[in-house]
Amino acid sequence: MITFEKVCKSYPGSPEILQNINLEILSGELVFVTGSSGAGKTTLLKLTSALEKPSSGSIIFESQNLSQIKDKEIPILRRRFGMIFQDHKLLYDRNCFENVALPLEINNMSKTDTNRRVRAALDKVDLLKKEKMMPITLSGGEQQRLAIARAIVSRPSILIADEPTANLDKEYAEEIMNIFYSFQQVGVTVIISTHELPSSNINFKRFQLNEGSIQNLIGHVHLPS
Amino acid sequence: MMIIVIGITLCLPSAGLLLIENASQISQNIEHEAEISIFLNKNISKDQIDFIELNLKKNNLVKKIHFEPKLIAWEKLQTKLDVAVSSSVSANPLPDAFFISLNTLDEIKIKKLIDKLDGIDGIDSITIDGNWIKKLRIALSLGKLSVIFLAALLIVVLLVVIGNTIRLQTLTYKDEIEVSKLIGATNAFIQRPFMYTGILYGLGGGIITISILKLSVIVLNAALFKLVSIFGTDIIFKDLPHKYYLYIVILAMFIGLISSYISARNSIKRLKIYK
Repeated sequence: MITFEKVCKSYPGSPEILQNINLEILSGELVFVTGSSGAGKTTLLKLTSALEKPSSGSIIFESQNLSQIKDKEIPILRRRFGMIFQDHKLLYDRNCFENVALPLEINNMSKTDTNRRVRAALDKVDLLKKEKMMPITLSGGEQQRLAIARAIVSRPSILIADEPTANLDKEYAEEIMNIFYSFQQVGVTVIISTHELPSSNINFKRFQLNEGSIQNLIGHVHLPS
Repeated sequence: MMIIVIGITLCLPSAGLLLIENASQISQNIEHEAEISIFLNKNISKDQIDFIELNLKKNNLVKKIHFEPKLIAWEKLQTKLDVAVSSSVSANPLPDAFFISLNTLDEIKIKKLIDKLDGIDGIDSITIDGNWIKKLRIALSLGKLSVIFLAALLIVVLLVVIGNTIRLQTLTYKDEIEVSKLIGATNAFIQRPFMYTGILYGLGGGIITISILKLSVIVLNAALFKLVSIFGTDIIFKDLPHKYYLYIVILAMFIGLISSYISARNSIKRLKIYK
């Protein structure tokens, strides 16, 4: 589904953030990108979701080379990803329903379908009862769940989450991870960057980043419960 | 606030247009009444008068001929002045006269005609009444040019002012724009509401311009009505034709659209996302 071939990324005046990255993510996989702060996890996710272009090498997503993608094609491509950000990136002047409806608004979906889909997404993350509430009134965990609802509402084939549990306590973090696992169970490819791996009884793939290089690739692992 | 700024700014060239349209209207009306007055010798014979009239009728430049015998002119003058002039003046001092309307305001042609008429026996003096119309027309052309220049300048001002307002709005909605871009919105999709805002600004501004102009015409005509009752003149300040008002609104909306499009496009392009 996604293949990185000798991908390097650097910004002008700074050392290379990613060096010669080779990796492959298959459809329906649960992938963890781990590493310490500054290891290049966020950059890797940005490249995966076409928010950045690599300095060299190629990124192939379903036979489309993201390194050569035209600017006008990028928005259409991004609609195929569900993005979840560490700081949620919610709109605090819109209520929960309106936040989740935004991707469908962009896709020009009818009002009836939007209502149906938004309610289904909010129900999935257990926030249906709070659809009229403003995000600022929600807890950190609820805000992250709201961000997940927004990411899944347009039914993307890939979910990309940048440190989704970084600011959450253990209980909320586990709750969020369980939501991701449930999506992976129904065939969605889930890519999560995190400082440390969660303890759970699931199959996953892990890429460990260290100073811009992938240090080790662990294949499908089944963690004991 | 922006709507008021647009309305007042567009009012200046529109008011200029209104004034020029009215002045043009007056100049056109006067043009049809422009005359050459030919005053005849006091002791002119009937044959000489007929000969002069025949000469005038033959001339292509002459559109209309009106002969005013001195007796009728004298009666008219007395009636107009409403005083017994005859009591203080022993004899009719007025001459017989031809008042002719011309097809042209061309100075050279008129000069040739006057030279030709000047040579005819029995003509005492010739007065041209149309020269000042020509000057008025030149002044009006200059006025029109000034209005166009002023309008062009003010359009640039409006483009900058609306553009700046829209730019500030894009900064206000920075978070929303960023999130929208991240989840796949095209620049055109993000630009659209800002362009609607620009068009609405234009529409509102245009309506305010129209309201101010209409109000000005009503107020001016009310003032002129008082003058009419005092001086007995028949002056009415004419409103602009409806199509002009439509042009003003369309122009205002177009300015709003263009400035918001350019401003929103540049602001959105410059906005860096997901730092």
